[in-house]
Order: sequence, then C-alpha cells, then structure tokens
Amino acid sequence: MLVASLALMGAAAIAVPLVVRRLGRFTGYPLALVFAISALLLLLDTPQVMAGETVTSSWQWVAMFDVQFTLRLNGLSLLFSMLVLGVGALVLSYAPQYLDPTYEVGRLYTVLTIFAAAMLGLVLAGDLVLLAVFWEVTTLCSFLLVAGSGKVGAWAATRALVITGIGGLGLLGAVVLLAVRTGSTDIATAIALAPERLSTFDIGVIGALIILAAFTKSAQLPFHFWLPGAMVAVTPVSAYLHAATLVKAGIYLLLLFSPLFVDVPAWHITLLAMGLATAVFGAFQALRQTDLKALLAYSTVSQLGTMVALVGVGTSAALAAAALLVVAHALFKATLFMLVGIVDREAGSRDLSELSGLWRAMPVTAALTGVAAMSMAGLPPLVGFVAKEEAFYAFLDTSQASWTQGAPWSGIVAAMVAVLGAALTFAYSARIIGGAFFGPLTQSNLYEPSWKFLAPAVVPAVAGLVLGFAPGLLNGIIDRTSEDVGFAVVQSDLSLWHGLSIALGLSAMAISLGLLVHFRRAWWSKWVGTEPPVPFAPVVFDRIWYVTLDFGARVGRTAHSTSVGVHLIGVGVLLLGLAIAGIVAIPGVGSGLAPVLPGAVQPVDIAILIILLPAVLFLARARSAIAALVLAGFVGLVIAVWLLLLGAPDVALTLLLVEILTVVVAAPVLARLPRHKDVGRPVIAAIAAVAVGAVSGLAVWAFTGRRGPSELSDYFLTEAERQTGGSNVVNTILVDFRGLDTLGEIAVLFAAALGLLAATAAGAKARRDAMSEILGRGERTVLRVGARVIVPLLIFAAVVLFWRGHDEPGGGFIAGLVVGAALAVAGIAGIHVRLPSSIVILSLGLGLALVAGLIGPITGGAVLEPIKVTLPLVGSLTSSLIFDLGVVLVVVGLVRTALQRLDGIDSDEDKHDSDEQSPDSFAVEVAR
Amino acid sequence: MTLAIAVAVLAAVGTWLVVRGGPVRLILGFILLGHAANLVIIAAGGVARREAPITDGSLDLVLAADPLPQAFVLTAIVITFGVTVYLLSLVARTARQTRQDEPATVDEVGADD
Repeated sequence: MLVASLALMGAAAIAVPLVVRRLGRFTGYPLALVFAISALLLLLDTPQVMAGETVTSSWQWVAMFDVQFTLRLNGLSLLFSMLVLGVGALVLSYAPQYLDPTYEVGRLYTVLTIFAAAMLGLVLAGDLVLLAVFWEVTTLCSFLLVAGSGKVGAWAATRALVITGIGGLGLLGAVVLLAVRTGSTDIATAIALAPERLSTFDIGVIGALIILAAFTKSAQLPFHFWLPGAMVAVTPVSAYLHAATLVKAGIYLLLLFSPLFVDVPAWHITLLAMGLATAVFGAFQALRQTDLKALLAYSTVSQLGTMVALVGVGTSAALAAAALLVVAHALFKATLFMLVGIVDREAGSRDLSELSGLWRAMPVTAALTGVAAMSMAGLPPLVGFVAKEEAFYAFLDTSQASWTQGAPWSGIVAAMVAVLGAALTFAYSARIIGGAFFGPLTQSNLYEPSWKFLAPAVVPAVAGLVLGFAPGLLNGIIDRTSEDVGFAVVQSDLSLWHGLSIALGLSAMAISLGLLVHFRRAWWSKWVGTEPPVPFAPVVFDRIWYVTLDFGARVGRTAHSTSVGVHLIGVGVLLLGLAIAGIVAIPGVGSGLAPVLPGAVQPVDIAILIILLPAVLFLARARSAIAALVLAGFVGLVIAVWLLLLGAPDVALTLLLVEILTVVVAAPVLARLPRHKDVGRPVIAAIAAVAVGAVSGLAVWAFTGRRGPSELSDYFLTEAERQTGGSNVVNTILVDFRGLDTLGEIAVLFAAALGLLAATAAGAKARRDAMSEILGRGERTVLRVGARVIVPLLIFAAVVLFWRGHDEPGGGFIAGLVVGAALAVAGIAGIHVRLPSSIVILSLGLGLALVAGLIGPITGGAVLEPIKVTLPLVGSLTSSLIFDLGVVLVVVGLVRTALQRLDGIDSDEDKHDSDEQSPDSFAVEVAR
Repeated sequence: MTLAIAVAVLAAVGTWLVVRGGPVRLILGFILLGHAANLVIIAAGGVARREAPITDGSLDLVLAADPLPQAFVLTAIVITFGVTVYLLSLVARTARQTRQDEPATVDEVGADD
C-alpha cells in the first residue's frame, strides 16, 4: 500500500487547483480526509512492520545509474510518515477556519500538498537518490510557502532557501560518495556494505556532509536563524512545516545514517555538543521573546537540539528517547501553533506584552494551551514528561556508550546541561500561560472560537494526555525504530511512573530551577535586558551574502570592460604561457629541431614577402580609414596569390572573393565614420604586438616545414576520388569527409547574418545612398551599363564553379561568393535584383544542408554520408551536391545581408532607391 | 621560414591595431590576425609540396600539397568574412549614435573612454 499512499498524495496535489475553484479555503477539509486515507493505507502494512519485516516496493527508475524508485516502510519511516500525514490532516482541517476569505488559498493548498507528498516520499524513500530528490523538494516547498507571505516573507524565505539549500548540496555529496563507494544506491544495502567498502576518510567526509544537511534543515547552531525568520509564513505553515515535519527531516536523516557512525567519536561528540548547545541557546532565546510565534520558533530550535543530542549519545535508549521526543514534540508544538493562531485571530495580537487574562474570555482555548504547554514543560501526566524522563536517563547513561570509553563524567555533564535546558523550557512554557491567559483581561468583545476552529487543536492535545498516561502504547513502534537504526530488539517499557528514580530527581531539579527563572525574571533581566534580542546570526548571514555578491560583481566587472585590450590580455597571456610551456615541456624543442625540408622556401616566396611586408607595415601607420582598407585589401590579394602558388587554388579563389566583398561592404561604413581623437596606449600596444608577433613567428618556424606529408594527407589524396567520385580533394573534404564541420561552419555564418540583422535593424534606411556619395554620377552610369553584362556573366561563372567544384577548383563557398560579388556589382550599379528576403535564403540554405545530411540515415547510412546516384546523360550525382547547394545559399544570404544592411545598396526594403534610379532617369542620364 | 616571417609581421601588426583600439583598427587588425592564423594552418601542412591537390590523373601524389589544412582555411576565410561583416555592423551602429559630418581617419577612440 506504500505506492497507493504516495500516489494518492501526488494525485491530491494535482487535483487541488481544481477543487479550490469550487471550495475556496474549505478545500482543507477534503484534503485532510485524503491525508487520513493515505495514512490508513499505510497502516494496512503495520502488522508486517511490527512483526519485524520491512515492506518494500521498487521499480527501475534511472537504469543508466542503476537507481531504483524504492519505497520501504520500516519502524522509523512508519513513525515519521504517521506524523507527516496525521499532523498534516489536523493542520489542513484547521486552515479553513484560520485563513482569511481573501487569502490566495490555491497556491497555499497546492504547495502544502506537494510538500506533504514529498515529505512522505522522503521518509519512505529506500533509495539514496530518491531521498536526496525528495529532500530538495521539501526545501523548495518551504521556500515557496514562506515567500508566499509577501514582501516580508521574501527575504526570510531567501535566507531559509540558501541555508537549507547548502544542506541539500551536502546531502547530495554524501549520497553520491556513499553510492559510489558502496556501489549501491539502495539505502539498506549501502549502509550494510559501508563498513567494508568505506575508508575512515570516506566515513569522515560522509559524516560531515550529513551533519551539514541535518543541522541546516533542523535549525541547529549556527544555522538556526532561518527558522525564526520563517515564522512570517501563515500559521498552518508554521505549525506543519516549521514545527512538526520539515524540521524533523534532519533528525530523520541523523537517525537513518547513525548506524554508519557507531564507532566514530567525532560524530557523537559533534551531535551531543552542538545539540545541547542549541537546546540551551534556543530555550534561552525563547524565554526572551514576546511574540508568541517567535517564542515557539526558538522553542522548536531548542527541542530539535535535544533530539540531535540524543542521537549523538547513540545508545539504544537514547535513540528511542529521541524518537519519543519527536512524537511528543509534534503533538504539543502543533497544538500550540494552532492555538497561538487562534489567539492571534480572536484577540488581534500574539504579542505577550499586549495579551492578558485571556482565560476569562476563552477558557477552552486556555485549557488546551495549558495542556500542551505542560507537555512542553515536561510536567506529568503528559507525554512530554515521559519523553523528558527518557531523555534524562539517556543522557545520564552517556558514559555507557562505547565511544566515551567509559568516561564517567560525560553522562553527568550531559545530564546537567539537559537539566538547564529543561529548566529554561519550563520557564518559557510557564510564560506563555502566565503572560497570555492569566492576569487582568484587558480586551472586551473576546469570545471563545467556534468548535470547528478548536477541534483540530483538541486532537493532539488530548493525544498528548492519553499517551502521557499510557506511554506503553508506543512501546512497539519505538522498539521497531531503534531496531531499524541498528540495535538489537530491546523491550521498551515506557511508563509515566518509574518510582523515585534519578531521572525524577533531575525533573524536580529542572522544575524548581524553571520556577526560579520564571519568577525572578526582573532580576536576570537586569543583565540581558527586557526587550527581545535583535538576532545576531542573520546580520552575519547578510554580511556574508553581500560580500559574496560583491565579490561576484568584482569578478564580473573585469569582463564588462568595453576595451578590447582587456579582453585580449587574458587570451594573450594564456597563449604566451602555452608557448613557454610548450618549449619547456615538449622534448626535442629546446635541444634541436629536425632540419627544414628542402623546397620549403622558394625564390617566389621571397618576392611575395617583399611585396607583402611593406603593405602590412604601411597599414599599421595608415591615417585614413579608406586608405587602410585599400591596403588591407591589397594584403589579402597578395596572400591569395601566394596561396595559389602554394598549391591551394580553392583557398586562393575564396580569399580573393572575400577580399573584394570586404572592401565593397566596408568602404561605405568606414567612409561615414566620424572622426575621433587618438587616445590609444602605444607602448602597451607595441609590447603586445612584438610579443605576439615573435611568439607566433617562432612557433611557425619551429613547428612547421620539418616533416613529410601527414598520414591524413596521404589518405585523402589516395582515397578521395575512389570514395566520393570527386577529384578536387579539398572540396570532397568539405562536403563528403568532414560535412559535419562544414555544417557547423555555415551555422556560424547563419548566426553572423542574424547578428547583423539584429544590430542594424533600426538604421538600414539611413545609409541607403552611401554608395552614391562615393561614386560620381558618371561613374554610376558606366557601372550600370557594365553591370548589365557583368552580372549575368558572374552568375554563369558561379553555376560553372559550383557544378565542377567536386572535380576542379570551385564548389559551394566559391560559387556563393561569386553570386555575392554579382549582387554587389548590381547593387553598386543601382540594379535592383528581385530575390526572396535574405533570411529566407539563409534558412533555405541551412535547411537544405541539413536535409542533405539526413538522406544518409534515411537510406541506411550515417548522417551526412553522401549517397551516389548514376543518371543517364548527367552522369553520377551525389547527395553532397545538395549539401553544397545549401552552402551556396547560406553564403549568398550572408553577403546579401551585409550588402543590404551595411551599404544600403541592393535594398529590397527600400523602394525609394529603385524610384530614384528608375529606367526613365537612367535614360535621361545616358542622353546627357 | 618565409611563412614564419609573414605570420610574425601579420600577427604583430594585427595585434598592434586591435590593442590600439578604435573600431576601424579593430576590424583591420582582426582581418590581419585572420590572415596570420590561416597562414599558420597552411604552414602546418607543409609548403615543400606545392601541387594543387586535384587528382585528375596528371598529379604526382608525392608533390601534392596537404589538402586538409586547405579545407580548414577555406571555411575559416569565409567565417572571417562573416565576423568582419558583423563587426562592421556594430561599428556602424556605434557611429550612428555619435554621428558627425567629418571624414573618418583611423585614429578613433575605442568605446572605452
């Protein structure tokens, strides 16, 4: 029934938004019923659990990591799941009366139900990964519920999320380490295998991470402060999450994993010391609060501390006492929260300085509060008393635990600190009753709330009383729990009256001391002040928070510079470092290089250098932007010639076309740039330039030209034609062998064109006649006549280059650039070429390349694998031709975008342009 | 050796232009750095063998240039063009925001002032 129970909760969470539309805030009642049914479904399995079995149900979840979706029900999870569902049902039947009719209940009920499902999943989880996932969901739900109370809640919720989120990361770390080391994600298996598979170091790390997770979730020092902050949430949330269930998840975690750390003294000492410190600190802070919710929050911190300390003691009796305290605390704290909510609603305040004498107006509320507060104070005959007595026994017997090595004082010290905590607890419990319910009644028109409002608080209050008289009812479940956390079955014998024992003496001591603290308040207030303290920890948290953010901003600012130099320095330094590391680390580099192959330097290279270098150096000194652009174009042309001489005709052709197009596109932009004064830093630039030049030149000299052809070169040269049918090896590499590279590259071109479109969207029209500024009327006329001839010729050339590209110099890139050149000529001449918009051409090109790539897998090959077809007349065709056509279109699209957006020529968006240069005006010009 | 000198000068001047700042220098410097990088890749294939790698029957494979760097450089050139064009669009955009009617020179401020 495990699955049914959890599935029911999940289904309820989904159904809530629909139900809220009809029932509004009264949705709480059917939800409470669902919780109760879910609890009953679990109870069906109780007989087996009590008989010592563990009920599990499991199916494959993440097969890759062998993670199972395992749910299991043993004593420990039964105890906690009953709390989750039982308190949940009570709180949900309380919420409808508590909530404002105007409150946004849909969100509250939905998140509460999701939380309940996650919390149930957490305590039922039988798999480590599942445990961590549910743990995170409860953290997120807590955040949403606290943040749901508006602006005040937002910051408190953020603090809580950050603190518990850190704990969540800790748990994840522990889970991963445990799973990896033991080879199993099943909790039971992992714990069983741990002793043989985990090193001492592993145990230490896992223990520290689990303590981090538990301490953050269960609000232990120094992470306690998020819990009082979370009290800005509405009372049902405080009662359910921040008193009864969520904060107990940490205790559950400690109990669950305590078998791993039986022999680790550091684990026990940490838990015991920090737990007791938190217990005393929390109780003392609670004593100083006047806001009842804040008081209860610190009280919860304190009680959780006691539970942590008990887990720390680690004896069977101590773990049983911890489990009993979990139950007792859930009962009295949920009651108290609900009653404080009632007082808040009825009397309009929950501040002790404003409340007084309420028992006269609300006797039933007062009586219930009294019962719950007595349980909290540890007075008989309530379950809180039984739990406290068990705790005293356990603390006294600390010296019996193996990890103390029989130090007799350990038990006495622990018990004394526990007594101090209990005394303070008694004092603040007395203050709730004395402060709010006794004294003169100061408010009029106060009435007892309706029974519907009170009933959900009556149930746990009465349960606390019943279990106080008959604690033996819990014997079975407590035994099973202590068995689940690694102890042989011990017959618990819980009872209200143990005779005149040491524990009873300690109780008497605590109560007397508590009475003293309560009635001598004026005396000790002189030292600590009467006002509630301003919490210190949140201030520290905020300081760390802002320092961290500030650090992040500082780091980020270095990347926010608009100076190119700043961005390049990092890259430059890295490259320099790599170069130095390479020289040092690669054997043979420092000691001597292979000889340069003969033929690597030929006379023609020297001639090229003689032409190239002056142009480059002039470029560095050029003052006019247009002159610099022309020089850059010249440098490009010389390199293109060189490439041709080096046996790379395709590359040469491509570079030639790109240089022409770059000049055409850049000239109008640069011509229109405004003048600025020079503020560069010549010294830095010179140092950087010399360093980069020297390193790159040295690297080329040292690492190239010293070996024969590579294996890949031989492979392509001998195999290309045989495998692809194309004799232009470079082109076959582009479209056949390394099609995926090329696909990526045209995707880059596509992205560049998109960037261009985005960057120039607003101003395309402003520059439409840029070319006419550069060219005179007569020049334009000549161009127009020439273009009528040149453009068709270029298009024809492009078709030829494309078609023969597989066998001879040419191919998609070159053909695309030639078409681009044709468009540029047409644009400069003012001829309007009708084409689909650039974005259509670009998309079509990329789409075509992708489709061509998919032909392979469709016909049973690999992606981008070319498919050959032999047709009559045409000869053999391959699908790489289609791919190459995609390349053509993307290149054409890019060039056209650049021409349109940067020059404003060839603009299909700009009808004025064609009007201005209509055939009539052209004819007139020619006539002149 | 000749390639090493060409790469050194192209890289040095390219770096000089980029670091000096200003949109025109940035674009020109980028173009020169592109040339330098392309020549490095070509050099990596070796330049002792200089026959175009077109296996039309008359090619002596021992003399053929390495085709793989050529394929890399070919696409790199087109991508350099794409990025240059994009840089130009950014420059044009910046210029529109600070337009003045004076002829341009190379000596422009970078955007950092």
